[in-house]
Amino acid sequence: MPAIDKNRPSPEWIAALRKRFPSEKEIDRVLTRKMERRAGPGYSPMPLTTLIEGTESLIRSQFGGKCQLSDARWLSGGASKLQMAFVLDWDRPGKGREKTPMVLRMEPAESIVETSRLREFQLIKAFEGTVPVPPVFWCDSEGKHLPYPALVYGFAEGVTKPSAGHSGVTGLGTHLPPDFRGKLAPQFVDCLAKIHTFDYRKADLSAFEIPEANSTQCAEWGVNWWTRVWEEDADEEVPLMRLAEAWLRRHMPVMDKAVTVHADYRLGNFLFTEHDARISAWLDWELGRIGDRHQDLAWTTTRAFGHLAEDGKTFLTCGLMPEAEFLDAYEKATGFKIDTKAVHWYKVYNDYMMATLLFATGYRIANGGKTHQDVLITWLMGIGNTLLEEMRTLIEEAP
Amino acid sequence: MQMRPDLQIKSVIKAMNDVVLPAVDPQNKLAQEQIRLCMGLLGLMARQLPLQFRFDCEELARLSAYSAELQRIAAGGDETGAALAALKDKTQSANATLERAKSSPHDIEQAVRSLREATGSLVSSVFRDGDSAVQDRVQRATLAMSKEQLLRDRAWVITQGWEPDPKSVPPIEQLLGIADAT
Repeated sequence: MPAIDKNRPSPEWIAALRKRFPSEKEIDRVLTRKMERRAGPGYSPMPLTTLIEGTESLIRSQFGGKCQLSDARWLSGGASKLQMAFVLDWDRPGKGREKTPMVLRMEPAESIVETSRLREFQLIKAFEGTVPVPPVFWCDSEGKHLPYPALVYGFAEGVTKPSAGHSGVTGLGTHLPPDFRGKLAPQFVDCLAKIHTFDYRKADLSAFEIPEANSTQCAEWGVNWWTRVWEEDADEEVPLMRLAEAWLRRHMPVMDKAVTVHADYRLGNFLFTEHDARISAWLDWELGRIGDRHQDLAWTTTRAFGHLAEDGKTFLTCGLMPEAEFLDAYEKATGFKIDTKAVHWYKVYNDYMMATLLFATGYRIANGGKTHQDVLITWLMGIGNTLLEEMRTLIEEAP
Repeated sequence: MQMRPDLQIKSVIKAMNDVVLPAVDPQNKLAQEQIRLCMGLLGLMARQLPLQFRFDCEELARLSAYSAELQRIAAGGDETGAALAALKDKTQSANATLERAKSSPHDIEQAVRSLREATGSLVSSVFRDGDSAVQDRVQRATLAMSKEQLLRDRAWVITQGWEPDPKSVPPIEQLLGIADAT
């Protein structure tokens, strides 16, 4: 790569990247903030008391009443954010005095995926009452109270996989027994349909911008976003990534209608209650945007998130239902048509994004000691080769 | 290739220092001692890895000079004569190896990085101002090269378990042309 010191980026270089890769304002703000702080210290372990004090300060600033925080403890899980569970004794508006289990979700010094806590907060808030989401309470979008930006949400009941089952890191490799599949699959389609048909204009989504319909603006914003991250973070060039960027720009699909996109809609990112197999909360909204429905469809049908059924032949999307059945049910539930060429394009786009996160950002932050789990980030880099091969094949076989 | 041993060792040491060590029972003296030894050895490995090749080459050059000196000064009966003949053979072989080892692993790594950058830059340029026939040819060449390289990259980390069909990926030893691949 060129002789630019990416660990100490100059203001001129940051400004040049911002100009070269126009994207949504909030995305630009978050990425610019990342680069302006890059030369700062790495992540150092912090005592729980620091997080408790910061959380109390955040709650005091946004909730006037008396409250008491207790039972704080670290939570594991997820590759990108720190999480602390606690109980808040408070006068909950509309409910009265109660002890509410909550979770603080805070960024490390730099995250494998640098996103906006404000966008995550607004999106979850917007979907309360539409699809199951954890209650979200407060947001420290600038890290004024806590060491880094954070949000506080309620503890949602449920599991990501049956208690008796097992899966790999980040929930990949989960196999659901057929009886769970039969009950969860219709809800899985129904929730996606509700997200895609949600009237986002009635919600407070001020941190989002709406790409122009009947244009390629949505696709272009996306390619700009991840190419900017590649430029900011990559240590070693990958010619295939340059080809992929060019291919993506050459074949950008026209978006017919803007919808809310979850952007990480898959098995492992929802909780369900085991006794009745009901989906109780959709998680991980941090990459959500207003954009093209085909982004979610491409992501959800990724081979890595599914597996073969017991017959050894039928491939199950997200381990839940055959792909054709899933897409057919989606079309019926939404009234939207699926453009297979757009799905193909977004599959390349999703691999491009993931390869950027793993090889560019993953390397940069693990080498800089910027997270609470550099060892996990380093481990995850290994999957990048498989994703690159998938992306290469998709480009080669493009319709 | 970003997932090199230096990054892996650095991440493991940080995890052990920040997370694992504070959680080890202070009363378990054996565990306390051994985790510190593990971290110490990993730190030593991190320091030695980039120097290992130079260290070995330098030792070989010293042994070669020593061998030349021994051949000049040593004399004796049949046994010494046979030993001198064997030493002469092995020294010639060692010198030939040393001659071939003019480029270090670091030199190779830097050359790889340099060519990755230059080829990547060319691909971007062609798609900005080349005609579509050239772009198609560059696309085919890039996909073909990447296919071969990615096969090796995937084989390199096969034990991590990411491959949906691991049997489709040949052993890395075979791909690197190492004779005794199993």
